[in-house]
This record gives sequence, C-alpha cells and structure tokens, in this order.
Amino acid sequence: MTTAALPQVPGTRDPRVSRTSRVTRFAGSPVLRLVVKRLLMAIPIMLGVTVLTFWVLSLIPGNAAQQLLGPEATPEQVAQLEEQLGLNRPGYVRYGEWLRGAVTGDLGRSIVSNQPVSDLLGERLPVTGELVLLAFVVSLVLAVPVALLAAHRPGGVWDRISMVVSTAGLSVANYVLALILVLVFAVQLGVLPAIGFTPLSEGLWPNVRSLILPSAAIGLPLFCFYARFLRGDLVDQMQQEEYVTTARAKGVGSWQVLIRHAFRNSSFGLITVVGLNLGALIGGTVIIEQIFALPGIGQMLLQAINTRDFIMVQAVVVVFALVAVVANLVVDLLYAVLDPRIRYGSR
Amino acid sequence: MSGKQRTATYPVGDSYVSEGVIAAASSGPAAPGPAGEPGEPLLVVEDLRVQFTRGGRRINAVNGLSYELLPGSMMAIIGESGSGKSVSSRALMGLLPPTATITGSVSFAGRELIGMPEREMRELRGGDIAMVFQDPARSLNPTMKIGAQVTEAIRLHSDSDRKGAHARAIELLRMVRLPAPERRFHEYPHQLSGGMRQRVMIAIALAGEPRLLIADEATTALDVTTQAQIMELLVELQQRLGMAVVMISHDLGLAASYAQDVVVMYAGRAVEHAPTATLFGNVRMPYTRALLGAIPALEREPHSLFEVTPGQPPDLSALPKGCPFRPRCPNALDRCVEMPPFREHEPEHWWACWNPVGDETGNGEQE
Repeated sequence: MTTAALPQVPGTRDPRVSRTSRVTRFAGSPVLRLVVKRLLMAIPIMLGVTVLTFWVLSLIPGNAAQQLLGPEATPEQVAQLEEQLGLNRPGYVRYGEWLRGAVTGDLGRSIVSNQPVSDLLGERLPVTGELVLLAFVVSLVLAVPVALLAAHRPGGVWDRISMVVSTAGLSVANYVLALILVLVFAVQLGVLPAIGFTPLSEGLWPNVRSLILPSAAIGLPLFCFYARFLRGDLVDQMQQEEYVTTARAKGVGSWQVLIRHAFRNSSFGLITVVGLNLGALIGGTVIIEQIFALPGIGQMLLQAINTRDFIMVQAVVVVFALVAVVANLVVDLLYAVLDPRIRYGSR
Repeated sequence: MSGKQRTATYPVGDSYVSEGVIAAASSGPAAPGPAGEPGEPLLVVEDLRVQFTRGGRRINAVNGLSYELLPGSMMAIIGESGSGKSVSSRALMGLLPPTATITGSVSFAGRELIGMPEREMRELRGGDIAMVFQDPARSLNPTMKIGAQVTEAIRLHSDSDRKGAHARAIELLRMVRLPAPERRFHEYPHQLSGGMRQRVMIAIALAGEPRLLIADEATTALDVTTQAQIMELLVELQQRLGMAVVMISHDLGLAASYAQDVVVMYAGRAVEHAPTATLFGNVRMPYTRALLGAIPALEREPHSLFEVTPGQPPDLSALPKGCPFRPRCPNALDRCVEMPPFREHEPEHWWACWNPVGDETGNGEQE
C-alpha cells in the first residue's frame, strides 16, 4: 500500500511518519518559529537589564578611577584618570558606546585590567557552569527517589522523614550550609578540600572533588525543595487522576503505577521549576564561589562591582539574563518532547 | 426487554474476531470457575459497608449492600449521585483510598475479596475482574501511547512477549471495533474521539479475559449516539465472551434497555432488586417509582410538570433513623423509623419497604 492509498483521518499521521515525528517536529517550522520568537523577545529583555544595571551602577558612589587610585589619590589625579578612561562623559554616551560594541559581539575590555571581557568570561564561565550542573545533578539525583519513596505512602514513615529533612534543609541558607559542610568534611574529617578549584586538565576526579562541597551547598537546599514539590505533585496525580485508577484496575503494582504512570505526568511541573530555578541559581553562585574561592563568574561579578568596572558587570549581567532566557526556552521545548499533547503551532 | 430478545437484536458476527479470541473466550470465562457450578452466582455481595473518615466526620457511603450476580449475566446498578453505586464497585476491586473502611463480604467465584492480600487482589484486578470508567478523556494516561496502555494490561496477565502482546493488542482493538487499530496503536489518547477512547478502555479491560466487567457510568460522558454504540458493543462482547457485566448508571432507560437484572440503590443500600421486566412492570419500592416518574416521556402531555421527588438525598454523615428514604417518601408510615429489611418478598423480586407501591394499605406489609 502506498502512502497515498492510506485513508487519512484528520489530525492523525501515517504510522511510518510518527516514528520520526519527534525529529520532524523540531526540524519543522513551528519549533523554529518558537525559537526565533523567543530570541527576538530576548532583545528588549537584554536592553532593559543592561540599562538598569548601568543606571544602578551610576548611583553607587565612586567610580573605577577612584577605585584604581585608592583613597590617597588627589582629585586632580582622579580627574585625569577619568579623562583617560572616558568616565567623565555622560552615562548615555558610555552606554551607547558599550551597546554598539556589544551588538557586534565585542563586549569591550575590562576598565581595571584592560583584558578583553570575552577572554575573562571564557576562563570563568566553565567553572560556574560546572558548579551549577553538579548542583542540579546532586539535587535531582536525590530528589526523585526521595519524592517517589514519600509519595508511595503519603503520611507513611518515609513521607514523614522526608518532610522533616526537607523542611530543615529549606530553612537553612546555602551559605550557612556551606560553612557546616566545610566544618564537617574539610576541617573535621579532612576528606575534601575546603577551598579552591582544580581545573579539569588536572584530571576528572581532582576536578570533581574540588566541586563536591560547593555543589552540595547549592544542591542540597534545592533537593529539599524539589523533593517536596515532586512529592506533592505525585500525590495529587495518584489521588486525583483517573488514569491512575485505570492503571490500578489493570492490576499494575503500586510502584509501577507511581513510576510508569504518575511520574511522567508529574515531571512537567518539576521541569518548569528547575528551568525557572536556573536563572536564580546562577545568581546564587556568587556567594558560594566567594566562600569556596572558586574562580567563577559570580566571583568575577563581585570584584567588578567593587572596582566599579561597569564593562565587566554588564558582561556578567548579560550572561545571567541570557541563561534565564535560554533556560525558559529549553523548558518549553522539553515539554514538547515529554508531553505528546503539546505541538507548537500545529493546531 | 429480556436477555433472550436481545440476542436476536444484536446478532454476533465473527468477521472482526480471530479464532484465537473465540477459543480463549469459550474455554475461559464462560466456563464455570473452580468453585462455581452452573447456576451458582459468580459474585455474592453481602452486607457490604464502606465508611470514609474525613476530617473527623464519618461518611457512610455504603450501608449494607447485598446482591448476587450470575455468571454471564448483565446487571444494572442504578441510583442517583452519592447512592454508593460507584463506591461499592470500587470497594470490591480494592480501589478505594486507605481512608475507607470496608466491612461485609464480597465473594467472587468462591473467593472472599474483602481483606484479600494486595498481591492476590492485583492478580484479580484486570484479570478476572475488570473495570471501565466514566470519563475516557481522563481515564487513559495522556502521556502513554494507546498501544503501550493496552499491552501493559496484556503482559500483566499473560506470559506473552512483546511481539505476542502487540499482536493480541491489535486483536483486542479490532474486537472493540476501533478503526485503523494498527495506526491507533502508535497514537496518544488526545488524538482519539471520546467514543474511540472508551473502546480503547474496553480493550484494556478485556485484556485479562475477565469473568466480570464493571462498567462504571461507562457511557455517561459520551453523546447519545456513541452511548448506544458502546452499550451495544458491551452487550455483544458480554454474550460472545460469556462474561458477567455490572453496569453502573443513573440512567434508568439505559438499564431497562440492556440489563437483565436491576438493583436500585439509595443511600448506600439496595432498595429494590428484580429482573428488569419485573422491576419495571411491577415497581414496589416508592423510591424506584419516584425515579421512573422523573423520566421525560414522549407520551406525556406537553408542558406538564414532572413528578419531582421532594427533598434531597440524605446526608451520608447523618443518616435518618430507619429507612433513609422516609423523609421524602409519599408512602411513609410510623413504622418506617424501623429499618425495613431487604428481602425477597416475591420470587426474584427483592425490596426494602414496609409499605410498598401496589399494596398501600396504610399499615404496610406485615410479617
């Protein structure tokens, strides 16, 4: 039978096509349109964020020239350096200049060190990226089994234990947790380094080892949050959704109902939260990188603010905003992969 | 309408069923079980009670329900919302949440279901006893393909491998007359219409070759035409596969057209039970008569008022003393503060009333 001979029911596909539907769905125009639309939407977001940052920085007393010369400098010296760095020009002129460069991909040079910003970002982004990735791995690898265990018997022993643990974990700030972790694992037990970062070039294990404590400090509170969130969603699915009753009426065992049926449907909520978290999380690395002396982008941001190096601050802010936009986009695309009911622009 | 007349109305064609299914059907569910001689009931429900505890309040959803079901027969349980018809059938399948306390006895082919260990119960669920639910839009898993949902049920109750399960699933989907089953196999529930989804639900229910199928308001969410098609399919499958069907509905007309026996429930109890023709030809329970009076009929004078039963269904957490229908009953007597027993007053006709319709003497039926 040829494809043309197959009776086409509206809204259905040829089975041979549906096998590759996921691929075609992403290569096809609706998804592309979504991506383009979101990236276009990112333009006003970026403009807003950078203008705001620029304006806030101009409100902080002092500028890069004063910071560079130190408190001993005479006003004449400061004025001279300001002239040299171009800081005496009005804010909108400096912003315009920065923007002109940024649009063409040139993020400028650091005012303080005169190094190209893109080089600095290239050094530091991988550190923060790895930290965030590990924190997510820690949080999700713990949260999913704990949530499943808790949701299997709501009100049961495991549910109550996980409730206590996660409430405790949620009420501890991550920098406090960081200090406790350092005290226990670095000072008392001496099994993990307290500070510092070992690059990947010195081996995978030394590299991961140097990030265990910082990623645990970020990941553990997240784990508590995700575990509570997923547990709640799973219990809702199990108690309110009729397809769960159908699965049980088929004779599916309770664990299988939870894992095969409820979990997939609960994962949408979790993915949304994780995606929204990513933006906040990358900002949250600022403190943790400071505590563990990690040469990441958060540490760079703090230094840049202290030296009023607005070019550097802008660059970091742009990266943070881009991560948030892209994370949201990825979440939306993931829905389409996981939820067969969503097909962008198809109906 | 009796079952025999219906056989003529819905002739069974063999065109869409392979030999395997017929062979399996005739050797399996139709034959009496290990504990069941012919003529012996498949399902015996005795004094079934279900109580929910919610926020300190006790809700008595089922209050001493009793009925018997013969193998291969179709019975309707009717009643309004909250009469316990749905809860009682979920109770016998062990599908109620842990907040429910279940007492009484449900014997299925000689095995007691109440208090049965979960492991044994799980084998029965979807195996010997299957269920179809009200809303096919909600009762299928939205993120799983149709085929996966059917094969899951098949593989739970047989040793078939992937290939065998796939073939059997297509066979079942064809048996419930789902159009283009090979294609639908790879589709998701949202791509199907309501009627098609309910056909898929029925295919899932048939996967374990059940001896008892419970259809819990299985056609309520469908439009009238589809409703008739699904009911005809159920009747046809019931006769071909020899399974017993309990059809739960609030639709008396539907019960009258398809069931051989009717149980009327009120406030968690059976209040009248008889073969369909007997029940509708000789209503004894005032509640049943009130239900019948509320059905619109073509013969009725245009713009005439319905006979509406005054009052509301009782509060299940504070049931009145005696007969729960007493506050709304036109036939109520002083004696009704005593609970009327549910008894076989006439051959095959059970009811629970002191002053039944037809012999309103003022002092009720005396023992």
